[in-house]
Amino acid sequence: MFYRVSLPQKFVYYMLLVIMALVILFPIYYMVIVSLKLPKDIYRTPSLLPINATLKNYIDLFAKDDFFINIRNSLVVASLSTIVSVFFSCLASYSLVRLRYRLRDWIGRLILFTYLTPSALLFIPLSVIIAQLQLGNKLHGLIFVYLTFAAPLSTWLMMGYFKGIPVDLEEQAMVDGATRFQAFYKILLPLAVPGLIAVSVFTFTSAWNELLYGLIFITSPDLQTVPVAISYLITGDVFRYGLIMAASVAAAAPVMILYYLSQRFVVQGLSAGAVKG
Amino acid sequence: MSQDALTRPQAVREPRFNMRQADSILGYLLVAPLVICILMLVVYPFVFAIWISFTDRVIGGGGNFIGLANYAYLFQQNSFQQTVRNTIVLVFAVQTIKLIVGLGLAVLLNQEIRFRQFWRGLILLPWAMPGFVAFITWKLLYAPQGGAFNYILINLGLVSSHVDFLSTRELALPSVVVALVWRGFPFWVISFLAALQTVPRELYEAAALDGANAWQRFRNVSLPGIRHVVLVVVLVSTIWTTNSFEAIFLMTQGGPSNATMTFPMLSYFSLQSLRIGEGAAVGVAMLPVFSALAFVVAVLLQRDE
Repeated sequence: MFYRVSLPQKFVYYMLLVIMALVILFPIYYMVIVSLKLPKDIYRTPSLLPINATLKNYIDLFAKDDFFINIRNSLVVASLSTIVSVFFSCLASYSLVRLRYRLRDWIGRLILFTYLTPSALLFIPLSVIIAQLQLGNKLHGLIFVYLTFAAPLSTWLMMGYFKGIPVDLEEQAMVDGATRFQAFYKILLPLAVPGLIAVSVFTFTSAWNELLYGLIFITSPDLQTVPVAISYLITGDVFRYGLIMAASVAAAAPVMILYYLSQRFVVQGLSAGAVKG
Repeated sequence: MSQDALTRPQAVREPRFNMRQADSILGYLLVAPLVICILMLVVYPFVFAIWISFTDRVIGGGGNFIGLANYAYLFQQNSFQQTVRNTIVLVFAVQTIKLIVGLGLAVLLNQEIRFRQFWRGLILLPWAMPGFVAFITWKLLYAPQGGAFNYILINLGLVSSHVDFLSTRELALPSVVVALVWRGFPFWVISFLAALQTVPRELYEAAALDGANAWQRFRNVSLPGIRHVVLVVVLVSTIWTTNSFEAIFLMTQGGPSNATMTFPMLSYFSLQSLRIGEGAAVGVAMLPVFSALAFVVAVLLQRDE
């Protein structure tokens, strides 16, 4: 900044940053090296280094079909709940950001409130409702349940993004004779594409990572999603940490990459940007 | 521009009258699918939860109205009292640490630092990671056999035998706190940093000219500028932290002997043992706190618009 930063001060800054980096990276590093070790190297000769590194855990993980089935289940549930949520929230956000009507503010509040409603409060009544509808232990039942958090989340983010796009262009087009639909379709939507992608990724990852509903509503192993399958590995009697960590790395890597690519478009919408509108 | 602003209202208002009605019909039509979805999937279960908590419903049964019996039963349970205590301690500890670390790192990253984008990206790692992966990794770090912390402690000669972090009464809750902080602080840093970057530079310059030191600049320039964002983040995150299920489920399952029992975990166990009414009461018991927090968030966000 404009005022001078002395050399010792700079040294302290970078020291703090390096400490922060170590705190952040160490668990991730350990997760990866354990995923590369055989049980005897994890338990009998523990070490912080990747000695005797092997891909055996990954080969074991992907050798059987189970993990692929879990991935397929997660993909199906996460994509479908994302598609439905993003479609609904696209329509709703346009309505809430661009159109004026009496109940608008109340509907906006309702969405905020549902966005904040924790799943810990909803899973009990949902379990009764899902049982009554006979949707228990079915993937489409789970998609249904995932909309409880996916729809408010994507709407909340999408509203933040739409608010950031100036209305002038659309107004100009409408003055020039475009219909509202044309203004939406030809002007707002193309401008909103980065936001649309980012919101989809965020919604998708939140569904991909979801554990509680998956645990409660899915009972058969062949319908388990990835988080549920991994959590059964860890709550069992015998921990195969190498295998568990390999599965964790495999489950985390793709969504982390997606997250990185899209976060800059929506980070603000998650909290701060929503304030600025 | 100014002329535009002066002429526009008169020119546009009258012919738009019909358009406004059309707008409002379109508005309701477009928002309807989402509102119906939310009413069915969130609002109805929400109200249903309150109703169930007043019944003796078990899985597969109807359940009769029993008034406050579930609550009366819960409140005298040791596990419930422990849950309330744990939640207060856990949330207070996690949020305080995240606030201090979050503000500190955000201010640090707002200085003239080389490779700021790199550090910012690095901070995001724990947050970008799926929660379940993060907490399984922390369970591994804490493990007595094969865990990194025990390896380090024993090799440095700090302990003579393995420490079972997650199964020792005194250590379990602090261990969970550390894992929750690790996973949660990036979001705070990034939000605070984004807010700090909107504070005009001139304000710092003016303060520096007036002879304000670093602390005074933080206290009198940065903090007022980001107060709102800080408050919203703290409140929203308090709701999430109070209700975080994954961390407890994957690391301790509420143990040892309820030392890390929290509301979602207790509610989950009630469902597992098929006592739905009681489980709903556990959830509804935290409703006043949740509603208060959500209400303040709504007011804060609205005031800013």
